Amino acid sequence: MNQWWIAIIAIIVAPIIGGFLAGIDRKITARLQGRYGPPIVQPFYDFFKLLGKSRIATSRMQFVWIYGYLVFMITCVVFLVLKLDLLLLIFLLGFAGISFVLGGFSSKSPYSHFGANRELMQILSYEPVLLLMALGVYAQNGSFMISEIMKPGAAPLLPSLWPIFIAVLLVLTIKLRKSPFDLSTSHHGHQELVKGIMTEFSGPYYALINLTEWYEIVLVLGIVALFWANPLWVGIIIALAAFVLELIIDNIAARMTVGWMVKFTWAVGLVLCVLNIAYLYLIKGGA
Amino acid sequence: MDLNWMMAVAILLPLIAGILVFIIRQYHIRGLIVILTAIALIINSIFLMLHGPDTYTPTSHYWGLAITILDYAMLLFYIYAGLSLKNWLVLIFALTQIIPLAYWEFGMGASKALEEIKPAFVFDHLSIVMVLVISIVGSLITIFALRYMYDHEHHKEIEKSRQSRFLFWLVMFLGAMNGLVMANNLLWLYFFWEVTTLCCFELIAHDLTKEAINNAARALWMNSIGGTAMILAMIYLFAKGGGTAELLTLESIIKAGGNQAMLLLPVALMCFTGFIKAAQFPFQTWLLGAMVAPTPVSALLHSSTMVKAGVYLVLRLAPAFAGSYLGIMVAICGAFTFFAASILAIAQTTGKRVLAYSTIANLGLIIACAGINSPLAIAAAILLIIFHAISKCLMFLCAGTIEHLVWSREIEDMEGLAEKFPVTTFITAIGILSMFLPPFGMLLGKWLALESVFAVPLAAILFVIASAATMVFWAKWLGRLLQVLPRLGRKFESLSLSYSVPLWLLVLGIFVVGIGVAPVYQRFVSFAVNNVVAATEAFAAGWNIVVPSASVAAGGTGALIGSFPVWPLYIVFGVAIVLPLIFVTIKPGELRPVYLCGEQVGGVDTDEWITTADQKAKLQLGGFYWQGATGEGAVNPWFYTVSIALLIILFAVVVGVSL
Repeated sequence: MNQWWIAIIAIIVAPIIGGFLAGIDRKITARLQGRYGPPIVQPFYDFFKLLGKSRIATSRMQFVWIYGYLVFMITCVVFLVLKLDLLLLIFLLGFAGISFVLGGFSSKSPYSHFGANRELMQILSYEPVLLLMALGVYAQNGSFMISEIMKPGAAPLLPSLWPIFIAVLLVLTIKLRKSPFDLSTSHHGHQELVKGIMTEFSGPYYALINLTEWYEIVLVLGIVALFWANPLWVGIIIALAAFVLELIIDNIAARMTVGWMVKFTWAVGLVLCVLNIAYLYLIKGGA
Repeated sequence: MDLNWMMAVAILLPLIAGILVFIIRQYHIRGLIVILTAIALIINSIFLMLHGPDTYTPTSHYWGLAITILDYAMLLFYIYAGLSLKNWLVLIFALTQIIPLAYWEFGMGASKALEEIKPAFVFDHLSIVMVLVISIVGSLITIFALRYMYDHEHHKEIEKSRQSRFLFWLVMFLGAMNGLVMANNLLWLYFFWEVTTLCCFELIAHDLTKEAINNAARALWMNSIGGTAMILAMIYLFAKGGGTAELLTLESIIKAGGNQAMLLLPVALMCFTGFIKAAQFPFQTWLLGAMVAPTPVSALLHSSTMVKAGVYLVLRLAPAFAGSYLGIMVAICGAFTFFAASILAIAQTTGKRVLAYSTIANLGLIIACAGINSPLAIAAAILLIIFHAISKCLMFLCAGTIEHLVWSREIEDMEGLAEKFPVTTFITAIGILSMFLPPFGMLLGKWLALESVFAVPLAAILFVIASAATMVFWAKWLGRLLQVLPRLGRKFESLSLSYSVPLWLLVLGIFVVGIGVAPVYQRFVSFAVNNVVAATEAFAAGWNIVVPSASVAAGGTGALIGSFPVWPLYIVFGVAIVLPLIFVTIKPGELRPVYLCGEQVGGVDTDEWITTADQKAKLQLGGFYWQGATGEGAVNPWFYTVSIALLIILFAVVVGVSL
């Protein structure tokens, strides 16, 4: 029973935190650009306004996939708070990502196809890093369970997995759709790809995408926090610092190309992960 | 049922039914025979499962004689094929089989010893898993083939029907496979192995186009290399056994193998044979070439027969290379194929080639699991065999159905299939999702594989890249099917029963076996795992799959290594996809045209727009294939180099240990 309550509370609280983080994002970004910026709660105003708008569609399936995107993202958050299998969580996150891509492919729209194809390349970039992160955790803990990472007395992961941590920061940039990786869609207007994969979504369904993104922020920051899970407040501070770092990078970096992203994340992210795991394998003797 | 009868139905019935359909040229009677055979095979396989493991030796000596005669008949036919096709590779590799075989059997006097091998057949739980997969999935394909071949010949306007001949080879294939997975006597194993090669050759060449014959010849000579390796392994074993047949059974190799380094060489040779049959790099081209055949052939080769024989043999031999460097090399070779084929699949523009590369990749994954050889990895391998057979069979039957709806195999021609053929698209979408996403069985298998792969870190790195590439090529393909114009009022197409019954049964199979995977594992697959490696862990708890740590398995308390809540995730899938699919509706007034910078022409569902010089143009979208980065031309030289090097290292390691 206890588990159910944890799950329900997480489902309610996560988007509130995510919404506030999105508001902070807009505020800090505005300040960095010399603007005053909207109030912190602006994302919630936007969300409810979008929900109230009338629904327009370019295909039926695009709505179906958006539900898939939302529900699988929520499932990932539930997996995180119930401290279940980290590797499986990453695969479930994959379903969420693929649902979103398929939503983009579901209408005959050049911009949304453009964005969907780029989103796929983003998945190709970050998925191996995330999977190797799970393997790195296994190398360290001998288990894929998040409960083992958070077990009282468990040593923090960061000292032994810091190369993987750097790679995960790269993933964070991609997942939060920040420059230089805001390729499939962007938070900033005036782009040649219009709104990319989100071009054909509007009104309540666009609100659902925003909601999913809030869950996603909480999820990926939660994964970052796992690197220092004992005591957890250190991990949360690290995650928030990483978030602010992403905002700064977003504002000082220009958007790069898709090919560059795949090469860069593989050349830097994958290599860091591989070296980290190879080192752990050698000192632990393949246990 | 009596064991005699069960063996006869499993192995001989398909042959008899094949001969019958070859003689009877009437569409309906022929169909009835095939359907009845299918039902008999399925029921028989269930009886065999209930009967449990056993051994069997036919009482009559004539069977041994018949097999010897048929062996030479087949090899002489290969020589004839090589000569008549002027394909020297076929000829050379037929000779490399027949000469050593004849010298060994008659020159070295092995034939006497071979006849006395008892038991000739041993079937354990692993064999039973294979028989079930072959009999159930394979039979559904033969039913699908009935109507498919009829349509196929009508579309191609072939005057003289060759359907009888086609069905003969197709049905007989199942019998050969059943024999293969139960054979214990190595010579009999070799015989069934060659029969599958022959069936494969005949089925690929079926359309008799130049391309079909060339590709069939390639399949033949490549698999003949495998046959040669198997004969060499047998001769080596015979010599090491002091001129007796003592080591010439799978049982004895498995029992002795782990302890005797000298047995590593024949085991490596037989794994090599399995690699070729499972189309591992650098031998993947024969399976890609097999795509020219009518789709039921591809479905059969890829899901339940032929390539599964390759992975079966490697899995069967896994105890013989446990804890050796050969095991690690097998894992790396398999993982490399998984990686290379997944990367290449991204660049493929033809649906069936994507499926082919995906099969090669998954076979690589299964072989890698056999190489890792821990209880967890073997469990992953066997579950992957089962789920891959169901999902891949469904995908090929979908590809065949689509081909007969749009008369093309190109992914670009399937654009917007959801609009024209929503039912087929729905089934295809289930098939595609079941190949790579949770909660479906293939992903469960891959998840288990990844949880076990840390033992061979190099394989782990190849696994994760391959896994990411897999997501890209499947999603890309499904995306092309889904692209529709803003328009309502779609009609459901009606499919022939011969198409729709196998398709829906396979969809049902994906969900039933998928949701019930934990009980299926506990009551059934776990025994097969135990046939390969002694597993003390139980990977199922109730309806869920769990990976306990070693301390828990030993009876202590401790943490889990991983857990996969099966039915909760199917509920999530239902809430996320199925419920919206049923309940989300849109009204005509809600439809809007897509965003084209305001340059649209006409109404909502138009895809015309105004281009330069005020010309009207139709909007055209295409898929991305990244052929410059992942195409065969770009990466094959690297992949060939690495895979050949890996095979050389594999044999070098084995010879080094043996000497």
